[in-house]
Amino acid sequence: MNTIDYVGERLWIGHIGNGFVVLSFVSALLACILFYISAKNKNHLNFARLAFNLHSISVLGIAGTLFFMLFNHFFEYQYVWQHSNTDMDMKFILSCFWEGQEGSFLLWTFWNVVLGLILKKQLKDGLWEIPVMTIFALVQVFLASMLLGIYLFDFKIGSNPFLLLRQHAEFSNLPFIQNANYLAKLNGRGLNPLLMNYWMTIHPPTLFLGFASTLIPFSFSIAALWNKQYTKWQVVALPWTYFGILILGVGVLMGGAWAYEALSFGGFWAWDPVENSSLVPWLVLVAAGHTMIINKNKGGSLFTTHFLAIGSFLLVLYSTFLTRSGVLGNASVHAFTDLGMTGQLVIYVLAFVLITVALLINNKLFKITYLILSFLILAFGIIFGYKKVLLMFWILSSVIITAAAYYLYFPKEKEEEELFSREFWMFLGALILILSSLIITYFTSLPVINKLFNTDYAPPKVPVYNIWMVPFSIITMLLIACAQFLKYKKTNPKQFIKRISYSFLVSVIFGLACAIPLYFMSNFSTASNSDKWNLISYASLFIASLFAVLANADYWLIMLKGKVLKSGAAIAHIGFALILLGALISTSKKIVLSKNTAQRKVSGLGADFDDKKSILLTQGDTLPMGPYLVTYTGKKREGINVYFNVNYLKVNKNGKPEFDFTLVPHVQDNPRMGKAPEPATKHYLNRDIYTHVTYADLNVDTITTNKNVFATAKNYIGHIGDTIYSSNAIIIIDSLKTNINKSEYEKNDSLLEVTAVLRCINISSKVFYAYPKFIIQNNVVIPKEAIVDQLGLKLVFWKINPDEGTIEITMSEKLSNNKDFIVMEAYVFPFINILWLGCLIMSVGIIISIIERIRVIKLQAIKA
Amino acid sequence: MKKFHILGVLVIGVAIGVILVSLKNTSTYADFNEAMQSPDKEFHVVGKLDKLASQIYEPKVNPDQFLFSMIDNKGVIKHVVLHKSKPQDFEKSEQIVLIGKMKGDDFHANDILMKCPSKYSDGKPQIN
Repeated sequence: MNTIDYVGERLWIGHIGNGFVVLSFVSALLACILFYISAKNKNHLNFARLAFNLHSISVLGIAGTLFFMLFNHFFEYQYVWQHSNTDMDMKFILSCFWEGQEGSFLLWTFWNVVLGLILKKQLKDGLWEIPVMTIFALVQVFLASMLLGIYLFDFKIGSNPFLLLRQHAEFSNLPFIQNANYLAKLNGRGLNPLLMNYWMTIHPPTLFLGFASTLIPFSFSIAALWNKQYTKWQVVALPWTYFGILILGVGVLMGGAWAYEALSFGGFWAWDPVENSSLVPWLVLVAAGHTMIINKNKGGSLFTTHFLAIGSFLLVLYSTFLTRSGVLGNASVHAFTDLGMTGQLVIYVLAFVLITVALLINNKLFKITYLILSFLILAFGIIFGYKKVLLMFWILSSVIITAAAYYLYFPKEKEEEELFSREFWMFLGALILILSSLIITYFTSLPVINKLFNTDYAPPKVPVYNIWMVPFSIITMLLIACAQFLKYKKTNPKQFIKRISYSFLVSVIFGLACAIPLYFMSNFSTASNSDKWNLISYASLFIASLFAVLANADYWLIMLKGKVLKSGAAIAHIGFALILLGALISTSKKIVLSKNTAQRKVSGLGADFDDKKSILLTQGDTLPMGPYLVTYTGKKREGINVYFNVNYLKVNKNGKPEFDFTLVPHVQDNPRMGKAPEPATKHYLNRDIYTHVTYADLNVDTITTNKNVFATAKNYIGHIGDTIYSSNAIIIIDSLKTNINKSEYEKNDSLLEVTAVLRCINISSKVFYAYPKFIIQNNVVIPKEAIVDQLGLKLVFWKINPDEGTIEITMSEKLSNNKDFIVMEAYVFPFINILWLGCLIMSVGIIISIIERIRVIKLQAIKA
Repeated sequence: MKKFHILGVLVIGVAIGVILVSLKNTSTYADFNEAMQSPDKEFHVVGKLDKLASQIYEPKVNPDQFLFSMIDNKGVIKHVVLHKSKPQDFEKSEQIVLIGKMKGDDFHANDILMKCPSKYSDGKPQIN
């Protein structure tokens, strides 16, 4: 086995790559230790910085090596083989890089290094350099180990991107390994075609930069706990936190845009666990950003800030665990496949919880007791089992200890908060965000809860999330509208109410004027109670988000006199309110255009069982669909995609149909994932028309056969009154007629003639009769077929089963009957552009805030 | 500070409340027999396609109705009425999760999740 000399393998590059992998891990560990001891002895500081630089270089080295291998198609390496091939467009080479788990960990590590280097320079020789960089390096130790791919006893640590294909556990007994020259003939498996689009190039790097940036507030917060300097870090960390809010927010929304543009979720947000697990860290980071301002201006809410800043990063780790461990199983459409690192991911999440709780305990004996107890629990779990019970016990005791540490050691404020103060309302907002995060996390974690408690809860569906999140959004919008008009410390309530009442009145009047026709005119009185509740909450959210937009615009234009530099918060809040407004209108007023005309309606099953959402389009026929007339004109295949051409016509003033536009939804005949529909959308300023093909024949027929030939016959067995379905008609066995009665037949068995009366009803309810005959002459069966020319049907009555009382009929159809057809869904998303406009405005607002915060830091530096 | 504490307790209270309320309504994974026992409740039923039974999809009659049979994990076979168009690659599915409820003898599903053969199955290194 081991004696085969493989030809052409470039083993040297794997050695280089592995060298960098080991170096990155060792140097991160070294940097962490050196930074840690530099806290006591500054002599080591330069070495610590050097070690971090070395770590940065080796991470770049890993990335460079992997990229080089991908670029040059070194298929002897499993990662290259799995994620790329020679037929691929080179512009997707970056997507190959981060398609797999190892590559995406590497991307994350890379961004951490970039941020770490900038931060190291910014903090150089300052109060925060040593503790912050220690935490940074510690996180890098954990991340670098994810690429190690070594076994410690039976425990797999990391997954290595430089593994040879023939050494991969799944492939090690395949025949190609026996061939010394296998490489010459090997092509890569290639990038999943579904990911071959520009979203895959921009979405992952943005999202991972967002994930990476949560590390900064986390590091500062931990550093503050460690140094017991609870108040000084916020000024430095604030622009970074805003940066995280910006990038992570854009990353999350980009995911939504991708889903909307290129996947067939039928919307931009499906509350998928993978989406949720990046949304929740964002919500928590937003809350942290707000309480940090409270800390800075008022000195309150310190514990909450630490809790949130740490929580955001821990939730990123938790989300990594959720999406990469395979625990989600059936619950998500796009979780990664399990690489066998579940145990490692759990341990990492728990390790950072342990560090946090231990640092909160400001008492040496207590701290050491907690640490020893935790290790004892871990050891007990490994040796004796009972892991679930122990884990729950440990989590519960950590929560209790956190609460105790807060009461015993954490600095608290003495004065009571004013009800009418900005900080109090901001704090309320942060609490609402925490509450939303808790609930979303709980829903998303149901598969984990099932594992822990042996329950079998199914993942909740979209409406469940919406019912809970809409009320929280309403409160958030009201807080966003009001908070800016309140001053820090104390505000005169009368003045505040007077000031805010303008925009409140305008939004209530205008909001009601819009919301009443939108939600109450058409179907409110007939709606069920739960639908009524939904409609009322939609209308309230509509008014509340309008209020938030107007109040912030008012604040910016009147109170700040339109000054740009101070207006970051107002603009970002306008943007956020517009995002919710756009999401609300486009989702709650989504119109199904493709209603089919099937008469059957299943009663008593509820609104979920709507079987009138798709339309059948036969090639060449024109059908009304909403305000349009639609024609499916044909399909064509390009590569693995099959495109379906659908024309939209509108009736013009003269009552004649006129061509409006064409949409070409397609189905990808993906060799790896099966058939994946991708939507086509017509964008207007005030609405989108969104379509996707749900069912179609992907075979593009190129052979021109004689369409007048009958296809192979199918046999049907039935009683009188039964129905046979042809592609264009319903055929009912009406009755049977015989030329003689039974007694006559028994006497003289020369001739029996039975005629079946078949009533054929076509789609436009026209009735045709067919009379196929079953004839027995001298004990020989001679059926006489009947042909319905108008329907292209041939019917043969060839058997009677007297015992069962059934007859048998074969039916064949002309090939020209089988016109190609597609089943399509079409929706209108009204005003979805408000959502995208909101994203843009929010980003601009946050960028302004970042610039302003950096300016403040610089001003303070000059003063000092 | 007192107001903050009250609010904190309130947040925890609301969170626990939401969890308790939603637990009652959360659909659970079940088999056909359990679904039969509570016909008005929505369940997720996991199983396999019964390949021997017939499948009826007549888009001309109703493009949003597809009939087939599924064998659940306990081996019980039920007719299924899926109130959606027939999923592409339906025959290839290894495992099916139906979301819906029993009505009479049939299981009415409003959604379906399918697990198709694992990502690796088509992609083993091959040379020729």
